[in-house]
Amino acid sequence: MTLETWDGDDESAAGRFVPLYVLVNGRTAPRDSTLDLATQVVALPVDTRRLEPEYVEIVHRCASWISVAEIGAYLHLPLAITKVMVDVLVEQGYLRVGIPAQQKIFDLHLLDSVLAGLERL
Amino acid sequence: MDRTSVKIVVAGGFGTGKTTLVASVSEIPPLTTEEILTEASVGVDDLTGVEGKSTTTVALDFGRITISPDVVLYLFGTPGQDRFWFMWDELAQGAVGAIVLVDTRRLDASFPAVDYFERRGIPFVTAVNRFFGECAYTEEEIRGALELDPRTPLVWCDARDRPSSKLALITLVRHAMAKLTATAPA
Ligand SMILES: Nc1nc2c(ncn2[C@@H]2O[C@H](COP(=O)(O)OP(=O)(O)OP(=O)(O)O)[C@@H](O)[C@H]2O)c(=O)[nH]1
Ligand SMILES: [Mg+2]
Repeated sequence: MTLETWDGDDESAAGRFVPLYVLVNGRTAPRDSTLDLATQVVALPVDTRRLEPEYVEIVHRCASWISVAEIGAYLHLPLAITKVMVDVLVEQGYLRVGIPAQQKIFDLHLLDSVLAGLERL
Repeated sequence: MDRTSVKIVVAGGFGTGKTTLVASVSEIPPLTTEEILTEASVGVDDLTGVEGKSTTTVALDFGRITISPDVVLYLFGTPGQDRFWFMWDELAQGAVGAIVLVDTRRLDASFPAVDYFERRGIPFVTAVNRFFGECAYTEEEIRGALELDPRTPLVWCDARDRPSSKLALITLVRHAMAKLTATAPA
C-alpha cells in the first residue's frame, strides 16, 4: 500500500491563514486575550443596566458556568469576537473566569478524575 | 467553587467520523462555533490592510461531558475542510491529547493529523473507524502506513457507538497519564 506523505509544509495555502484581527471597543483580538475557547466564565451579581445590549446578552448566557466556545455558538458570534467581549466583561467585573485548560494539564489528579468520569458514562 | 475546563481534540481527515464521535458521547447535541481567519500576509499589526484581504470562516464542532460539579470536559472536532493549522494550535494548546480517527478506505487522509500530534509530542490514540464492518488491513499494516510509534495506542471503533467512543476516550486519558508519569521528574 502506498501513502502520499505530508512534507510538513505549513506554508500551504490553508496553513497561511491566521485569525482575523478584530477591534472591539478599542481592544484587539487575538493578541490581548488570554482566554482559551474552552475557558468557562460565570456572571457575577452585578447590575448590567449600563451595558450595551450585545454585552447584556452574553452576561445573561452566563447565569451558570459556560465556556467561551458555547457563548460563541449560542450567540452566533465568531470566536475572536466572543473572546474580546468576554475579556471586556471580565475586566469590568461582570464575569468571573474559571481555570483554563492549559494551566492544569500536568495534573495527574485531574486526569484521574476525568478517567473516573468517563468510566461512569 | 472554581470551574476547571479540560479539552480533548478529535482529529482525522475529512469525513472520518469526528462529529459523529463527539455526538455519540456528548451530553448536549454538538454545537458549532466559527472562527474568521485571514491570510497571514496581511500582517497583524496592519489594521488598515485587513480590508479587502481574503478571509475564510472555519467551523468547529464541539460537545461537552460534565465530569464532576467542578470539572467539564470539552471535545473539539478539528475543521475537516482543510489544514487550518492555526485552529489546530489553538485546539491542541492545553489539551489532554487527541483522538485521531482513521477511515481504512482512506488511510492517507489521517496522516497529517498523526504527523501533527507526533511532531509536537501531544499524546494521541488512533481510532480506526471501520465504517462497514470490514477492514482490509491488519493493525500492523495500519501502523506501518501511518508510521505510528509502537507506543501509540490503536483502537478499533464505530464512531456512532457510545461505548466504542467512550473506550477511545478512556484509552487516550490512560495513555496521557502514562506519558505524564514516564516524563515526570523523579
Ligand atoms: N458506517 C459508519 N458510518 C459512520 C461512522 N462514523 C461516521 N459515519 C458516517 O460518516 C459520515 C461522516 O461522518 P462525520 O462525523 O460527519 O465526519 P467528520 O469527520 O465530522 O466530517 P467533516 O467534519 O466533514 O470532516 C456521516 O454520514 C456519518 O454518519 C461509523 O463508524 N460507521
Ligand atoms: Mg465534522
